[in-house]
Amino acid sequence: MPNPIAATFRPYWQYRDLVRNLVIKDLKVRYQGAVLGFFWSLGNPLALILLYDFVFTHIFRSDLPNYILYLVIGVLHYNLFSQAVSQSCESLTSASGLIQKIYFPRILVPTSSLLFTLALWVIAIFILVILYPFLGGIYHWGLLLYPLALGLYIAFIWGIVLTFSVLQVELRDLKHLVDIALMFGFWFTPIGYDIHVLKPTTREIISLNPLTQFMDLFHALLYAGTLPALNHVLIASAWTIGTVTVGMILFRRKARHLVEDL
Amino acid sequence: MPPAIIVEHVSKEFILRHNRAMGLKTRFLGLFHKNKREKREHFLALDDVSFTLEQGEALGLLGHNGSGKSTLLQIIAGILQPSKGRVIANGRVAPLIQLGVGFNPELTGYENIFLNASLYGFLNKEVKKRVKSIIEFSELEHFIDTPLKNYSSGMQMRLGFAVAVNLQPDILLADEILAVGDQAFQDKCLDKIAEMRKNGMSLILVSHSQEQVSKFCDHFIRLERGVMLENGSIGEAWE
Repeated sequence: MPNPIAATFRPYWQYRDLVRNLVIKDLKVRYQGAVLGFFWSLGNPLALILLYDFVFTHIFRSDLPNYILYLVIGVLHYNLFSQAVSQSCESLTSASGLIQKIYFPRILVPTSSLLFTLALWVIAIFILVILYPFLGGIYHWGLLLYPLALGLYIAFIWGIVLTFSVLQVELRDLKHLVDIALMFGFWFTPIGYDIHVLKPTTREIISLNPLTQFMDLFHALLYAGTLPALNHVLIASAWTIGTVTVGMILFRRKARHLVEDL
Repeated sequence: MPPAIIVEHVSKEFILRHNRAMGLKTRFLGLFHKNKREKREHFLALDDVSFTLEQGEALGLLGHNGSGKSTLLQIIAGILQPSKGRVIANGRVAPLIQLGVGFNPELTGYENIFLNASLYGFLNKEVKKRVKSIIEFSELEHFIDTPLKNYSSGMQMRLGFAVAVNLQPDILLADEILAVGDQAFQDKCLDKIAEMRKNGMSLILVSHSQEQVSKFCDHFIRLERGVMLENGSIGEAWE
């Protein structure tokens, strides 16, 4: 008996090398001619970390122990979110040349845009892996759960990526709005500060930000060396289910007619 | 054997949006200025088109500019969704609406072969088996490792054509692409298509030129303003 789930995914699986080739193309084109090549993907997060470290240790004082580790975890994970979301807005509109000329599952376009960001991010995450013991990182069994937390986070981002890539087709201002929102988002997420130093009302507001929940997972596992609190895991999972559902529904409804609006 | 393609009562309506609001500014202005508001007009590009293409047959789509032949081809290729009716295709459909879809100027010819072929749903390992014959057919052995931006437009089209025909499609949809490169290469393409037809490939060819259609096809359909005017075999109803 044919498996219905397998039958749903077979058409996408057939195109797996398309996703791979698109990601490799983007990687090759991006650093074409740059002498330092892929090292540039380390440059941006490194510069950010140095800058924020300067700001938060010399201008605003932070009492957190191993502050740089706290900061690096936040900056790297926020970067993944902001780059993926910002880039995905234009993924469909800039692929109009492909979409108008040949049929392939459209969902692969924003998905490969996300995977491209992820590929660059994996290079940047090596900074953290190398520096981890020097910054005061703790090796504990809970670290084995990190891939699960990261997977949840990537699924959450994927839902947003799908949503925005479709909306951008009809509302071309979206990308500019999103880029501004991402600047605000950085400060509305506990990246450079600890949420517990905030006033109760401010803390409530910041907790409404889904990224706060994800940061808590990463800070618990990688910084505090504990397991994340269950309620944070549940809220983060709920957000993920929410964005993926919205993204999938929107994509299913719009994908067939996207080509007429590009 | 089931037919290669069945087109059943296909209609396609486009909504032409004049003064389309793409940004916030135009949407906002539309609130106050009536003439800046979006006007919608319905436009019937295809009106109840039906035909069947048996396996191994070749069909020519004739018609003037704007008659709906390219729209019909895009619907058969699955790029556009019909407003009414449906299309059933049995076999691997390769649309050749543009040669070398997805070609990137920064990548080498070799890398572009894989990128282009994967858009047709091919896995890299399947392409690897054919890459030699693709390069051979394109006659670009000497340039295959240089970036595509250094190719002439004729060379790019040759590469695109070489990929498409070497993927051995069951059904080839060609939109006036048979003007590839110089005369010698054109003849080679035509020979290749004739050879593939002999091996059982079905073909739909969009063309202005009756001469080209009569050379390649055994059936033809003439469209005008989205309506099927004539549908017949070449030879009997041919003027």
